[in-house]
Amino acid sequence: MRVDEADQWGAWMAAAQGGHGGAYRRLLGELRTWLLRYFARRLPPAQVEDAVQETLIAIHEKRHTYDPARPFRPWLAAVARYKWIDRLRAMGRERTDELPDTIGVEDHESEVTSALLLRDLIARLKPAQQQAIRLVKLDGYSVEEASARTGQSPSLVKVNIHRGLKQLAAIVGQAPDDE
Amino acid sequence: MTSETLLDELASGLTPVRLRSARRDGMVLGALALVELALFLMLGLQRPDMGHAMAEPSFWWKLATLGLLAAVAIATAVRSFDPSVAPHRGLRWAAWLAGSALLIGWGIDATHHATAPLLARLEWRAGVSCLVSMVLLSLPMLIALTVLMRRGAPAHRSESALAAGLGAAAWGAFVFFFRCGHDDPLYIVFWYGLGCVLTALAGRALLPLITRW
Repeated sequence: MRVDEADQWGAWMAAAQGGHGGAYRRLLGELRTWLLRYFARRLPPAQVEDAVQETLIAIHEKRHTYDPARPFRPWLAAVARYKWIDRLRAMGRERTDELPDTIGVEDHESEVTSALLLRDLIARLKPAQQQAIRLVKLDGYSVEEASARTGQSPSLVKVNIHRGLKQLAAIVGQAPDDE
Repeated sequence: MTSETLLDELASGLTPVRLRSARRDGMVLGALALVELALFLMLGLQRPDMGHAMAEPSFWWKLATLGLLAAVAIATAVRSFDPSVAPHRGLRWAAWLAGSALLIGWGIDATHHATAPLLARLEWRAGVSCLVSMVLLSLPMLIALTVLMRRGAPAHRSESALAAGLGAAAWGAFVFFFRCGHDDPLYIVFWYGLGCVLTALAGRALLPLITRW
């Protein structure tokens, strides 16, 4: 995002706060593109579109909290990061189903980027947490299978997943905004 | 729903919004605080020996600590209802303030030459009554902060909730301070500390649940 682009977005948001639908529609269109890029680097591809839409709705509902006297970018990045952390937490609560062996994949770029980012994040956890999250959340094993492979009891696998994801959310929460 | 449809829906029928202002929120809370304190004093609930108490160092220690803690925590909470403002620095200040207050209290206690046993100095029956009063007096501020937090967009909900809980707790204790006739630093640290911790933890536990966005 260029500086003049951010200024333009701030001006459009200020106009939207005054009820200018045209400026708002243009702003949302550009934010959607920005958010797609933002989440593609941070979430599994299947979750990107949902995260973008959720964030756009949050931006809409909380548009009164943007102060037009201040830069737009930090506000946008904060909202996007909040929704990202929310997604990570939700991933921790969701039940993981095994994926079928034959699943069509069109483009690997975003998967590779997400995988690299996830690998760096996961490497900062304890080994037992890394194992549990890799097997159950990334490789699609059931808790029982992960238990048999790691030697951890099923409840310990669950605890390690829960604590690991919580730790990941905390790491992400402390990271500075970028993009 | 496709993104394009969503964008059209969001942009259609857009109405002007009233901008959130941390300054206005602060003024609302300040007015609420003044009204609560004025009502409390107008009802004649202040301690009868106020003049005598003012000569004690513990009076000013309590006044300054609770007032500053309430101001710092409430300001931290209100600022953090803006998604781009994190409450961590404010919370560190509040922790530093609380730690300093404990040290000063320990210093005052050392010059107090109390002879009674520790448990007797805590005066359990009066302490529980103080605790309940403090928590009740913190409720108006806690409710107001919850309303403002729901209208805002705190990106660090748990920490904002903790700041709000702590601010409301310190304010409740500040109001009650005008009523409380106990000047023993040990009593104050224990019961006021417990009251603040309980309310702050309640805020930390409950507010994130009702301010999700």
